[in-house]
Amino acid sequence: MRTSPSVAERLDAAVELLADGATPSVAAAASRLAGDERRLVDAADRLRRATPAPPLAPRFEAALGARLAGMTVRDPRGWALRHPGRLIVGGAVGSAVGVGVTAYAVWRTTRRPSAASRLLHR
Amino acid sequence: MTREPRPRGDTGPGGDPDLEDVRAAQGDRAAFAILYRRYVDRVYGYAFYLLGDHHDAEDATERTFLAALAAIDGFRDTGASFRSWLFRIAHNQVANALRSRGRRRDDSLDRVLEPVSSTDPAAEVTAADDARHVRAALATLADDRRQVLILRFVDGLSAREIADVLGRSEGAVRVLQHRALRDLAERLAATDDPPRAV
Repeated sequence: MRTSPSVAERLDAAVELLADGATPSVAAAASRLAGDERRLVDAADRLRRATPAPPLAPRFEAALGARLAGMTVRDPRGWALRHPGRLIVGGAVGSAVGVGVTAYAVWRTTRRPSAASRLLHR
Repeated sequence: MTREPRPRGDTGPGGDPDLEDVRAAQGDRAAFAILYRRYVDRVYGYAFYLLGDHHDAEDATERTFLAALAAIDGFRDTGASFRSWLFRIAHNQVANALRSRGRRRDDSLDRVLEPVSSTDPAAEVTAADDARHVRAALATLADDRRQVLILRFVDGLSAREIADVLGRSEGAVRVLQHRALRDLAERLAATDDPPRAV
C-alpha cells in the first residue's frame, strides 16, 4: 500500500515543475504545498533564477578539448587489451610470424648449396 | 533576469541517454569529445558555484575530464547514469580543492555573474540585486546542503542522480534538499528588506 508522499517528496516534485517552467504558485498548488511549505517553493524559484550557468571561457574550453584530444592517441596495447578477441588474434599472428621466421632460418641453413655456389667456393 | 526551463535530470524509462556515446568512447577515445562538449559547461558550473572562483573551477573541471577520460573504460551500465558517474568525479575534485585551500569561502560570485541586458533596466537591476542576495544566502549554507541545491538547480540532476553522486539514498537527498531550502528560506526571510510577494 502506497503511503501519501512526504513533504520532501512533494517539494521535490514542485522543484521539478519549476525546472520545467511552471510558476511557483502552479508548482506549489500541483504539489499540494501551502503555508510554510509554499515559502520553500518561493525560495526554490528565487534560487533557480539566481543561479544561471556561469560563462565558460572559450580559451579554456578549447585548450582542455585539445588536451583531451591529445590523450586519445591510440595505444596498441590498450587497443588489444580492451577486447580479449583482439589479444588472441594478435597472439596468433605473432606466433605465426615467429614460426615462419624460424622455418625459413632452418631451411636456409640446411639446404644444399647450388652448383654455381659450389663452383664459386671451390 | 529570465531563465529558460532547464533540462530535466531524470534519465527516464529509456535509461541512460549517454550510454551509446559512452560505449563509442570506450571503443575509440576520440569519441569522448562528444561527452566533453555536452558536459563541460555543467561540470564547470558545479565547480564554480561551490568554489566561487573561476580559476579554481577551471582546475577542477580539467581534473574531472582528465580523470573521466582515463577511467572511461571502467564505466559500466549498472543503474547509475554516466552523468552521475561524471559528477561524482567532479564532486571528488571539488572536495579536494576545498580541502587544499583550507575551506576558504570565496565571495567572488557576485563580481562575475553580471546581469544580462534587458529592455527594462529597473527590473533588471532589481533582479540582479535579488540574485546577489540569494547567492549570498546560498554561500552560508552547510556544504552538503549547498551541494544538493547546486546539483539540483544549476546542473539539473534528479534526486536519484544526486543520490548516486553523493553516495546517499534518494530519500535522504530529498530530505536534504528540503532542509537546505528551509535554511535558505529562513536566511532570505531574515535579510529581505520588505516582505516579498511572489
